Amino acid sequence: MMAPRLGHDNLGLGVGLRTPHYHHILQQQPQVDWFEIISENYMDSHGRPRHVLSQIAERYRIVMHGVSLSIGSTDPLDMDYLRKLKALAHSVQAKWVSDHLCWTGVATRNTHDLLPLPLNESTLDHVVGRIRIVQDVLERPLVLENPSSYVTFADSTLSEWEFLTRMANEADCGLLLDVNNVYVSSVNHDFDAVEFIRSVPHGRIVQIHLAGHTNLGTHCIDTHDGQVVDPVWELYRLAHQLTGGVSTLLEWDASIPPFPEVHAEVLKARRFMGEQLGPDPLVGSAPQKLDSAAAVPHPLHLVTPEVQ
Amino acid sequence: MNESPRRLQDIQLWMQAVISHAGGIEHGIASAEARERIDVDEASVEDVILRSNALSAVDRLRVYGNAYYSRLIQCLREFFPALVHALGEELFDDFAFGYLQAYPSRSYTLARLPYRFVDYLAESRDEMHTEVAQGASPVDGEEQVLQTHWSDFVIDLARLEWAIDQVFDGPGVEGDKLLTVEPLRAISTEQWPTIRLVPVVCLRLLSFKYPVNDYYSRFRQDQKPSPPAPQETYLALTRRQYVVRRHPLTRPQFELLTALQNGSTLETAIAAAADCADDLDQLANQLQSWFQHWAAADLFASVAAEQ
Repeated sequence: MMAPRLGHDNLGLGVGLRTPHYHHILQQQPQVDWFEIISENYMDSHGRPRHVLSQIAERYRIVMHGVSLSIGSTDPLDMDYLRKLKALAHSVQAKWVSDHLCWTGVATRNTHDLLPLPLNESTLDHVVGRIRIVQDVLERPLVLENPSSYVTFADSTLSEWEFLTRMANEADCGLLLDVNNVYVSSVNHDFDAVEFIRSVPHGRIVQIHLAGHTNLGTHCIDTHDGQVVDPVWELYRLAHQLTGGVSTLLEWDASIPPFPEVHAEVLKARRFMGEQLGPDPLVGSAPQKLDSAAAVPHPLHLVTPEVQ
Repeated sequence: MNESPRRLQDIQLWMQAVISHAGGIEHGIASAEARERIDVDEASVEDVILRSNALSAVDRLRVYGNAYYSRLIQCLREFFPALVHALGEELFDDFAFGYLQAYPSRSYTLARLPYRFVDYLAESRDEMHTEVAQGASPVDGEEQVLQTHWSDFVIDLARLEWAIDQVFDGPGVEGDKLLTVEPLRAISTEQWPTIRLVPVVCLRLLSFKYPVNDYYSRFRQDQKPSPPAPQETYLALTRRQYVVRRHPLTRPQFELLTALQNGSTLETAIAAAADCADDLDQLANQLQSWFQHWAAADLFASVAAEQ
């Protein structure tokens, strides 16, 4: 029988490591359960980002989260990228390595976006085969996240949860369940978010993501720029019940507030872990509301240089 | 869905062509690049992309199309903040937009997104002069100078900011034992001509037609500088304790360090400095203090005697 979370520990409540928080983390050494890094920001770094990461990895548990694996692309897998990914994972003793069920570009180009796939048998075979190669190179199970998406394809024959379930079982990989992405995509594609979360294989969920998004009325955009809204917390409550509890991480990538505020946001998750608890008025501080400003999905993760 | 599933590669090539088309989604759908893969027009695009209850297929594709350029242009702005100030956001964005079309990203990392940006600006000299002639310059009172030299200033500033970024995250010497002043002093007069000083791996030497380092400093001090008049300037960039350090150089200093970086002996390097020095006696008197200053600034990794 498969161990829950593919045998990984429940690391608790973590925060995505972002450049503006380096100083606070190094100086204050806050009590954080674990950090998730954006792999590509450190794979080639020979400067301060890599130095900071080494210091943080000495004190905290690290999970690696990538944005450029492009597991669904029809371009060949980038073996140089995979070797660097493996070396970094070894160096920081990453608990696991994750990326997204998506493609980022084709014909050697990289759009630096997480683009959706037509979900059908042919794509499933393609993705499962590539996951196996990646897992052979990394010598560890890959963990893949459901991305937010904004289009669906006429060539799709499987629901996203059917695809994820079969993909995870056939490739023997883990899942990163982003409950905010489930919510965003459910609005954009008119499906039931609860059905999604009830249907995915809970024993394969290694990690959960939480984040804020932008609701434009006709659709939602995954902007990672604010608090987690109440409907997403409710999905988190359900996911927690169904999984029995897995490592949970908050992503905050644009309009990033001071570290204590980001940390406090993920700590709210504790209030949704008790099955007997009803809605908590203290938590309901971010009701769903409509935004009118222009929004861009998936904020970019850049490191700005320090210079004198 | 259609009876025979489309090839995944065709869908991906089609979608990439549609969402990254400079003219927008509608032009992308109509483009030859897209229609070569999936031959649909705007009216029949729902044969490929389904509509939602709230949005048409085109509106849904537009989310990706809007994101593609805006997010990467934002990324380029963050690499070149002083250049954004110099050009103004609108003009900078125009160049960034053109750059992304000419040199779309082919790397897994955004850190390499601008790697041909300076080349692109150099290829766009004529366009830059046209922009200034049309009054697009954000600065006051410098139009005459700018019309003649605008592109050189823009390119110099872009080179500086890109070099700073590369030094910041490139190979460094933190934790290494470097050449200090004392071993330099211990080298005998007879040995001096034949030794080779090995610069640190993070040393970058730059020559400019404009004083862009001073401009960059004033920008960082929030002085909102106007583009300066032309002036040949020289700069050494290095990194200590993970922070990029800037060392303005004279031309003889630049020539000397460049020769050392190219592997020349000290004698040859000093000769290169002498070739452009106004006063050789003054140069001779300055050499010792230069090397002491540079060693203290961690510019040299080691010293090697001539084989």
